[in-house]
Amino acid sequence: MGELLDAVLRCLIVLGAFLTLPLLVGQMEHKAMAHMQSRVGPMAAGGFHGWAQLVADGIKFVQKESITPAAADRRVFELAPAVALVPYLVAMLAIPLGPFFGQTNLIGQDLDLGLFFVLAAMSVGVLGTLMGGLGSGNKYSYIGGMRVAAQLMSYELPMVLAAASVAMAAGTLSLVGIAQEWEPWWLLTQLPGLVVFFVAGLAELQRPPFDAPLADAELVMGPLTEYGGMRFAMFLLAEYAGIVVLAALTTVLFLGGWAGPWSDHLGWVWSLLKIVAVSFLVIWARVAYPRLREDQVNALAWKVLVPVALAQVTLTTVLVVA
Amino acid sequence: MTLTEIVFLVFAVIAVGSALLSMTSGQLVHAALWLVVTLGAVAGCFVLMTAEFVAWVQVLVYVGSVVVLVIFALMLTRQPSGARSAEVTGNRWVAAVLGAAAAIGLGATMVAGFGGEQIEGRRIGTAGSIGDALFNDWVLPFEILSGVLLAALIGAIVISRSGSDR
Amino acid sequence: MSGSFWGKGLLQGLAVTWRNLTHRSVTAHYPDVEPDLPPRSRGVIALQEENCTSCMLCARECPSWCITIDSHKEVIPAATEGGRDRSQNVLDQFDIDYSICMYCSICIEVCPFDALHWSPEFAYAEGDLKDLTHDMNRLRTWMDTVPPPQPLDPGAEQGKELDSYRASQAAEAAEAAQPAEEES
Repeated sequence: MGELLDAVLRCLIVLGAFLTLPLLVGQMEHKAMAHMQSRVGPMAAGGFHGWAQLVADGIKFVQKESITPAAADRRVFELAPAVALVPYLVAMLAIPLGPFFGQTNLIGQDLDLGLFFVLAAMSVGVLGTLMGGLGSGNKYSYIGGMRVAAQLMSYELPMVLAAASVAMAAGTLSLVGIAQEWEPWWLLTQLPGLVVFFVAGLAELQRPPFDAPLADAELVMGPLTEYGGMRFAMFLLAEYAGIVVLAALTTVLFLGGWAGPWSDHLGWVWSLLKIVAVSFLVIWARVAYPRLREDQVNALAWKVLVPVALAQVTLTTVLVVA
Repeated sequence: MTLTEIVFLVFAVIAVGSALLSMTSGQLVHAALWLVVTLGAVAGCFVLMTAEFVAWVQVLVYVGSVVVLVIFALMLTRQPSGARSAEVTGNRWVAAVLGAAAAIGLGATMVAGFGGEQIEGRRIGTAGSIGDALFNDWVLPFEILSGVLLAALIGAIVISRSGSDR
Repeated sequence: MSGSFWGKGLLQGLAVTWRNLTHRSVTAHYPDVEPDLPPRSRGVIALQEENCTSCMLCARECPSWCITIDSHKEVIPAATEGGRDRSQNVLDQFDIDYSICMYCSICIEVCPFDALHWSPEFAYAEGDLKDLTHDMNRLRTWMDTVPPPQPLDPGAEQGKELDSYRASQAAEAAEAAQPAEEES
């Protein structure tokens, strides 16, 4: 009984984090992106510098009508947002936050194969956007769906290779184990892997500069064109939840997770700070760089990231064996 | 029947049912998505048999990549959505009979060969144990398989480039 | 900057956005803070009815035909015995349709009697198109918002009347000086 209660409590906490952290990242994006563009961002909602903007957005989305186009494949169209969103919730279950005031790790469930589980869950999320693109009955969505398929498949390989390099260095696939085995000089030896993982993760999330599938000057909104109301909000939540998952994974794998002073009590604070810092990098990349063309996206994946990732794996092998 | 066996039965029924739905579906996209359900159910069966590494590889490779590739190929070659997009020829009844015969034959062979046996010394399928098995007992088939995959990759590149002027 | 290396553009992009992030943004928070408008801002045209003689120059010169004028003559009896009766124009209607007006200021420049003036007021949006036609009374109220005339630029012409006045003043001074010279 105690175990069941424990499991339910952990799931509820993960669900709470899943619903609030993406909103915080979203608000940070509003404000940081605004100031980087010499403007102020939302100021009205909530009174103090528009802190409640995303709450207002949520209410707006809830009260909107969810329209299904006549030419759309009804079932596929309506299921796509759920298929895009749920894998990120599932992935969050296995990512550790660090020691919480002397207790064991804050984590949904520490899996032996944690890293593989998270990567597998993220790869299922791809199907959601693909279903949206195919099922919308819209030419722009169709082309967007094709771009999604090509891009997300191309970038899964460097991402898995970079993650595999860290797993090799740590000797375990468990995320808690990897964070515990982390050494500060890994920042240097795993640096190519870090860059590859981050860039490939950005492309997996279809964040600018890799948002060719959603290019709004070319494809209206790509696979998301026909979506409105709550379904669109689900896709948006999936994007920001993906940013949180990517930041959390980068932190745990490459930045040492909860490493820092007083980590057995404040480890979770260090984790959260690093997640916020990586999310800021994601937002910074969006503002600073123009969109990559579709052929540039694929060329980057296959001609740059895969060789660098393979080189990183080789380097790690040499270091581990030596 | 233990809880594990009941859940295994449920997953197995889901897998077979969605496979049938995939084959009989009138729309290609629906067929591909029922295939996803089938593969996911098979991954669930793997987890129940404590082969967790294989289960997540199944999800990562099959669901995440192979099905996406299938859908991508469909999008490039024909219009996969819309009613009656899955062309059915007149041979489907012959194909169904052959498929049923193959299933019954394989099933009978498995039951006749392995019926009633208990597996000795089963190992939990963690990454470590699979790595041990692969690189100690099964290293030769592993290397041959990687050679076969490399040959397939190179062959695909050659075939796809032979059409263009080079 | 030493030459160019791979990734230089990437770093420059990051540098520009970082600089913008750390500097105060120039956004003016409009509804809470009134905008800082330049001196001769064109917001709305105000009418000084007393000056208007309904000469129709503004209505004729307006490129958009947005001014509608109607008036009648009133007779003012002679002030002295056997004198001529004066006639005076009284405006009945002076409408400017701001849905058509293109704010070119030709009417204001052309008016010989300084009856039309610019005012910097801009917040007169309406819910109905008909309400965008301001009638005589409303145009009169805008006169309260017309700022005093701006000083001319340092090297500018001061205007014909002022120039001829100064010329006549100089001529009188010269004449006054000359007889004084002749006398002495």
